[in-house]
Amino acid sequence: MSRWNNGTAADRKYVVRTMAFTVPYVAVNVAAIFGAFDEIIGKPAAWVLAAAVAAPVLGWIWSILSLMRDSDEFMRALLAKRFIISAGLAMAIASFWGFGESYAGAPHLQTWLIFPLFWACMALMTPLIRTSR
Amino acid sequence: MKNRLKLLRVERGWTQEQLGQALGVSRQAVNALETEKHDPSLDLAYRIAVLFDQPVEAIFENPHAG
Repeated sequence: MSRWNNGTAADRKYVVRTMAFTVPYVAVNVAAIFGAFDEIIGKPAAWVLAAAVAAPVLGWIWSILSLMRDSDEFMRALLAKRFIISAGLAMAIASFWGFGESYAGAPHLQTWLIFPLFWACMALMTPLIRTSR
Repeated sequence: MKNRLKLLRVERGWTQEQLGQALGVSRQAVNALETEKHDPSLDLAYRIAVLFDQPVEAIFENPHAG
């Protein structure tokens, strides 16, 4: 909420855009958890469900790119640094775990976890990256 | 990059928010410039120079000057 209350017009647009993608993502997942799509699980139609749940990921990335476009040069540089470092960290952790599965018998994790992992890395990096250098 | 931005702003009695509005950037950007956490683009440096009616090098120290 601080981004909404204390942020710029670009920040508030970002919140609206992000929520526009978060609400359907949560709604479809909650519906799936409560069995709304049980009849199509394992059938070709389930690919439509998978695409519907994955589509907001593209929307979130677009929201971040739009925020970068609408922000001033300092905020743009900060966002770019945070995004690149968080994406790199998420890929490194996912690769580590994937090779752990291949070579060390680590339990299998769902690949969709990469996106929540990316956001966890963003949350971790945001307070640490305060300079554009 | 070392600069006299805070001094010039305070001399005029402006807040970071007011300076940011005059330059078309956020308060955070002004703070980052003043605390040397951001080196301005050439475009922003020129905008600052025009606003304070001074040459760029009178506001920002040229790190490459001998």
